[in-house]
Amino acid sequence: MTDIIKRDGSRQPFDATSIIKAVTRALNDAHVRDDDFARHVAEEVELSVQGKPQVDIYSIQNQVEDLMMRSKYKDAARKYIEFRQTRDIQRESRNTLSRDILSIINQDNDELLNENANKDSKIIPTQRDLLAGVVARHYALQHLLPRHVAEAHKRGEIHYHDLDYAPFFPMFNCMLIDVEGMLTNGFRMGNAEIETPRSITTAAAITAQIIAQVSSHIYGGTSINEIDRIHAPYVRKTFDKHYKQGMRWIEDDEKARDYAMEMTERDCFDAYQALEYEVNTLHTANGQTPFVTFGFGLGTSWEERLIQKSILSNRIQGLGKNHKTPVFPKLVFAIRKGVNFALEDPNYDIKQLALQCASKRMYPDILNYDKLVEITGSFKTPMGCRSFLGVYEEGGQLVHDGRNNLGVVSLNLPRIAIESSDETDFFRRLDQRLEVARDALMNRIQRLDNVRASVAPILYIEGACGVRLKPEDKISKIFKDGRASISLGYIGIHETINALYGNAHIYDNEALRQKGIAIVEYLRTVVERWKQETGYGFSLYSTPSESLCDRFCRLDIKEFGIVPNVTDKNYYTNSFHLDVQKKVTPYDKIDFEMDYPLHASGGFICYGEYPNMAHNLKALENVWDYTYDKVPYYGTNTPNDSCYECGYEGEFHATNRGFECPQCKNRDSSRMSVTRRVCGYLGQPNSRPFIQGKQEEVVRRVKHL
Amino acid sequence: MNYQQYYPIDVVNGVGTRCTLFVSGCEHFCAGCHNSSTWDPSKGHPYTEETEEQIIRDLGDTRVVRDGLSLSGGDPLFPNNLDSVLKLVKRVKTTYPDKDIWLWTGYTLEGLSDKQQQVVEFVDTLIDGKYEADKRDLTLAWRGSSNQRLINLTELRDEENYDL
Ligand code: SF4
Ligand SMILES: [Zn+2]
Repeated sequence: MTDIIKRDGSRQPFDATSIIKAVTRALNDAHVRDDDFARHVAEEVELSVQGKPQVDIYSIQNQVEDLMMRSKYKDAARKYIEFRQTRDIQRESRNTLSRDILSIINQDNDELLNENANKDSKIIPTQRDLLAGVVARHYALQHLLPRHVAEAHKRGEIHYHDLDYAPFFPMFNCMLIDVEGMLTNGFRMGNAEIETPRSITTAAAITAQIIAQVSSHIYGGTSINEIDRIHAPYVRKTFDKHYKQGMRWIEDDEKARDYAMEMTERDCFDAYQALEYEVNTLHTANGQTPFVTFGFGLGTSWEERLIQKSILSNRIQGLGKNHKTPVFPKLVFAIRKGVNFALEDPNYDIKQLALQCASKRMYPDILNYDKLVEITGSFKTPMGCRSFLGVYEEGGQLVHDGRNNLGVVSLNLPRIAIESSDETDFFRRLDQRLEVARDALMNRIQRLDNVRASVAPILYIEGACGVRLKPEDKISKIFKDGRASISLGYIGIHETINALYGNAHIYDNEALRQKGIAIVEYLRTVVERWKQETGYGFSLYSTPSESLCDRFCRLDIKEFGIVPNVTDKNYYTNSFHLDVQKKVTPYDKIDFEMDYPLHASGGFICYGEYPNMAHNLKALENVWDYTYDKVPYYGTNTPNDSCYECGYEGEFHATNRGFECPQCKNRDSSRMSVTRRVCGYLGQPNSRPFIQGKQEEVVRRVKHL
Repeated sequence: MNYQQYYPIDVVNGVGTRCTLFVSGCEHFCAGCHNSSTWDPSKGHPYTEETEEQIIRDLGDTRVVRDGLSLSGGDPLFPNNLDSVLKLVKRVKTTYPDKDIWLWTGYTLEGLSDKQQQVVEFVDTLIDGKYEADKRDLTLAWRGSSNQRLINLTELRDEENYDL
């Protein structure tokens, strides 16, 4: 008697009838009837296993396949193979699903649990969200993505971002909330009618509510564009209120004004403190602190100046009794010649405050007004950490607030380069993969096609998206004609150049630099074409590779092994960024990267790695000034960690086992505050560990000064 | 004179964006010194006309504007270094009167020899005193231990009662 070893390792005695059944079924599917043939196949197989104590199920199936292929029933053979493959896939995926679910229970899959540095996977709401994510991802790969897209994603040729949310849920990525419209016109939230606020205190409180609601309905970042301009009227109202009160008691206009100003300054500072606190304690339905960004800096009225100062001085002060560095909201400070760039500009004092803040809290990052307008056509705050909208007008007016990004699909460029024999081959393969990416992006768009406004009232009915649709209205129209962007992302120009052209470092070789730029420029022409062809706002986005740097590289190692200078570091470099190990001055790094944002205008940021600069704001300002006419968006990574043991403030040592205080050697992660840049955002790796490839990258980062 | 290290762009030794030269040679032998490799005056690279030229050129760079020159070590006021250093600071001040010079020394301002004084006349900011490990304090700007002083000589010179 022969035993069959099944997939799960269990044994069963050989049974010819199950073969007869399977073959008959395949014949039926191909619309043939031949019972003799089915029996004949079964007998052949039986004969071949005779005398063997055990045979595994795969060899039996292969034998059946061969026999059928050699017969006249080719169609039936194909049906059999198809059936087998589908069954294999289903079985396989049932296994991944239960494995993923199990890993949430056991808390043992780092990739899943630490994928997002902003989620604390130990707590229940996050676990619920992770579970929903596992199921959503699974279902989407199985049923919602076109087969070839799903396969390309699984192989790591492309990355369909945020599968744990979309397309399963009809959600989009990130946005600029139309806070101005919501505050001016009022809105409903839950059971409450919210009216126009009468003070900065209320305006800030309502803004926090809006952020919380919006963040629960989208999966990417929520940004407020020019919060100083948007909140200014409420500072005015606060002043008027205090002034009226002052006049009642003091009856001296000047004194009443002084009183009112002092009270207003205090209220404003407190309002932003409360707002910052809210944002940092918020937990959205997505089980995470919302990715919030505040853009500000251009306003020159006293109200706007006061708001700018309040935001910055709150941040400088830090959160709570340990004066911890807040990770959110991300602050983006706009710099413009004539406003705050030079000593003679009216807001130069606020630039100094911004420098102090950056040296202490790493944020704000800066937006250089003129360069940004040159590259993206108009001034706007990034959505999330680095996504930029293009120009869009309604009735001859530029519109930014209320617009959004529909999502990202990124290309694994190093993979294509590894596979390619030469440059021509690379671009040929790239074209093929771009078609897959396009299908993936169109899939994102189509998912939103028949969705109605009632799916997210805050976004579509109450004004966050800058529109007031009726519950039954379809939402898709607000994504058309470039109102929303949809982005092609890319990873690893550095490794791509290494894989394609061999030994020289891209930084040291002008020809290779041009090659890098040419690839990105080419991607841009392709997305421009898609835009022309579809009417959707396709844009090219420089993917921040928080978890992708790890994933793509890991999959490529599996496929191609260790490829020197390509896969050997265990991570890929962010988009167009200079290799983090290359020791150059920040000035040279800026020069190296400055040509890319022009092409990748849908998403970009440049950074420099600095030592602690708290004692040298002058030097920090030198670098900021240098960027002004070179890069639109710049972040200075100036670590300022603090030790709760000895009080040291400065940079901690990054080791593979964690961080260490240089003064007292403290390594207790609960007794320190360590802040590092993770992608476009900050993270606190001492409290929530980075994913392996990222920690690896952080350890390897060299200072540019 | 020999030097250990020259940084054409530096932001951690003095205010602003600077050129920094770490010279060889030091007779203080502070316990816990971070740069003990610089004690031996014969170590490092020879400081030549060319080194000086490069420093002058870098300070004049218009792309990355430098605020001044920082001299550290070792000890720039180590007797053996005084000729080269004096020549350099003189030249820097004549070529770029608006750029400032910072200098780190293990001697104290009050105990300087005449020749050392000559150098210090061209210096704007002096950080003086030996490094004392038991007074180590990483929170102080530009200093390693709390006995060291950060002296703004330019300001002092402006005060009438200061007689250099
Ligand atoms: S003076 Fe400076 S270089 Fe000389 S021993 Fe002391 S710490 Fe070291
Ligand atoms: Zn410590």
